[in-house]
Amino acid sequence: MPHRNSIKTLLIVDDSRVSRMMIRTFVLAKHPHWILIEAASGDEALEIVDRDTPNYCTMDINMPGIIGTEAAAQILAKYPGISVAIFSSNIQQSHQTRAAALGAKFVAKPVTEKSVAQALDFFECKT
Amino acid sequence: MNPLSELQLDALTEIFNIGAGRAASSLSEIVGDEVKLSVPCVQLYQSTEINADILSLNSSRLGAVKQSFNGPFHADAMLLFTEDRALEIVHDIMNSQVGVEDVAEFEQEAMCELGNIILNACLSSMADMLDVTLNSSLPVYSVGTAEVVLRQIVSESPSLMLVLHIDLNIEKRHLQGYLVFLLSSSSLQKLLAHIDRFIAGI
Repeated sequence: MPHRNSIKTLLIVDDSRVSRMMIRTFVLAKHPHWILIEAASGDEALEIVDRDTPNYCTMDINMPGIIGTEAAAQILAKYPGISVAIFSSNIQQSHQTRAAALGAKFVAKPVTEKSVAQALDFFECKT
Repeated sequence: MNPLSELQLDALTEIFNIGAGRAASSLSEIVGDEVKLSVPCVQLYQSTEINADILSLNSSRLGAVKQSFNGPFHADAMLLFTEDRALEIVHDIMNSQVGVEDVAEFEQEAMCELGNIILNACLSSMADMLDVTLNSSLPVYSVGTAEVVLRQIVSESPSLMLVLHIDLNIEKRHLQGYLVFLLSSSSLQKLLAHIDRFIAGI
């Protein structure tokens, strides 16, 4: 039985169900006891964060409705204790700079074991 | 018509969005400004269903960049933009070194480069995620009236077209275009088999 404090809640935000499934699989392989919540848009993420306040969040950028960096900015302004990793295939400097300015970790897509490990390392360093 | 499952469409849209993200990064380096490029939607059509109304291409002239891709399946990929907007993008790509009046001279070369970046980024993303190898021919650019360009596509094409809507924003210019994949039904089945294998591996 894992120690209660080691059970963390992760919110996965991505409009692609396939991407959410991949992140879920790689995270559960390393942390089978974590609680994973999914949101398909930034707006849905904002609602969930108010209700469930996760420890960590992975955030896609290109989504319908508000874009991921904006959702991350709103989440971090309200809940600075949540660690956010921004996942995007758009590795333009402007996105990376915005993520850094928010105190979030920028992780390049595609979702792979390696990219998910980068996000998990960041989460563990912050806790 | 849409014989693709929701999950197959989701996987294809995500693969192309990752490609679009890579293309946006490359284009951003060329124009030295932020570039937004996304593929909000993927649809499958019979080639006989395609016309300017379905694609909402209301401009009289279209620019088309075409490349062929070969691997486990064969596809002709084509990037379609309305020509007036294409010229503005060419001006940005040429880094304003060329006056607006001279830009048409460079249109062919710059549009081939734009097509090459976007098409190859999408196809390389597909190759990486599906773990296949795809080779591409050199890009060819053609311009014509919407009617002629689309009629040519339909006449050349095998039976099916995978149509991706593209939103491209460069330096505050907004451009909507289409990335069209022309596939035979046997090539589509091979592509879907790879997509299913990819989904099953998650």
